[in-house]
Amino acid sequence: MMSKMKNEETKSEAVQTRGGRKTHHLRTFALTMIIAWGLGTFAFIYFYPHLMYNAFEKGIVQHGLGGGPIPVNTLYAVPNLASPSASSNLLKTGTNQDTLYIGGWLDLSKGPQVLHVPDMAGRYYSVQFTDPSDGTDFAYVGKRTTGTQAGNYLITGPGWKGTVLQGMKQISSPNNSVLVLGRVFVESDSDLPTAYGLAKQIQLTPLSGSIQ
Amino acid sequence: MLSSSGAVQGVIIGAVLAFITAQILGRTKVKKINGWFTMYGFGVPGNGMLLRAACYQIFPGPVNVPQEAMYWTTSVAGAGNYVMHFPPGGLPPNDAFWSLTMSDAKNDFVANPINRYIVSDRSGLAQNPDGSTDIYLQNTAPAGHESNWLPAPTGKFILWLRVYMPGAAILDGSYQVPPIVKVQ
Repeated sequence: MMSKMKNEETKSEAVQTRGGRKTHHLRTFALTMIIAWGLGTFAFIYFYPHLMYNAFEKGIVQHGLGGGPIPVNTLYAVPNLASPSASSNLLKTGTNQDTLYIGGWLDLSKGPQVLHVPDMAGRYYSVQFTDPSDGTDFAYVGKRTTGTQAGNYLITGPGWKGTVLQGMKQISSPNNSVLVLGRVFVESDSDLPTAYGLAKQIQLTPLSGSIQ
Repeated sequence: MLSSSGAVQGVIIGAVLAFITAQILGRTKVKKINGWFTMYGFGVPGNGMLLRAACYQIFPGPVNVPQEAMYWTTSVAGAGNYVMHFPPGGLPPNDAFWSLTMSDAKNDFVANPINRYIVSDRSGLAQNPDGSTDIYLQNTAPAGHESNWLPAPTGKFILWLRVYMPGAAILDGSYQVPPIVKVQ
């Protein structure tokens, strides 16, 4: 009799414990879910541009735009318009077919870079400078912003102190890491060689290299 | 054991919900007019965390600020012939150029017999007698309107409209891109 009662007590304890565990399990689940939901929503929104630009940096520095990897602090001009047979995957999807692209990645931690642009003779072009930490285009050189005459632009990292040489315009970057994306308008197939000739002359040099 | 698996499940479900929530919040920043999606404030410094995230969900690339270029996109369910009708003087106002790009469902260019992947201000588009312009979006050449044909795949397609150095009417939102209309 005693042992039977004891047995039943143990059983009901076991049931209670199982029930308690279930409740506990649900509570843990609900709590972590709500925390992960809240933090995750913020994280996705906050880090999304950053994650994308990490991918772009890898794409440019490691794979390039069809002409092999593009070393940091150099620019590469793609010789052709985007098409179904483009050699770079980046130029098959979601790109325009109106301009040649120029791509490169800057590291300004060791000093400023100078962007040289030739006389574009009224042609539409733009060089976009993007901060990869948030994806904002903090500066432009090009027809809309600086005109189409030849020019030299000093691109400086945060905290750079120095004198801007005469004849140069300064572009202050909020980040040492910068995506540079150029676009040079192509009027027609017969205009392609001229456009490419100009695109190739849009170049970078370190600041020291341009003191003469 | 049970509680740790509860935590793991919580994190997984929470992360999925977070991803969906971020997408839904992002969509609130997208403008949809005449079936075309666009967004203002792209790449503009100080445009806000949510707008930035939204931009890159809809246009996953290093796109321009609005003053440099504006972008619109729409997808069309497929099979059939479609027309985009610009009223007289209604082609996109700009100080550089505009173009309309055809892509398949995977956003790749659509191979076609005339090697035409875009129509633009350089395409020599023919005007209708009233000064309006029709662009024909279909798989086979529209008889008599070949000059205004933008070849489409047989199935679903995605269109991109780009306007470089857009005019004031675009930047202030008063210009409306015409809808894509199915031809009966």
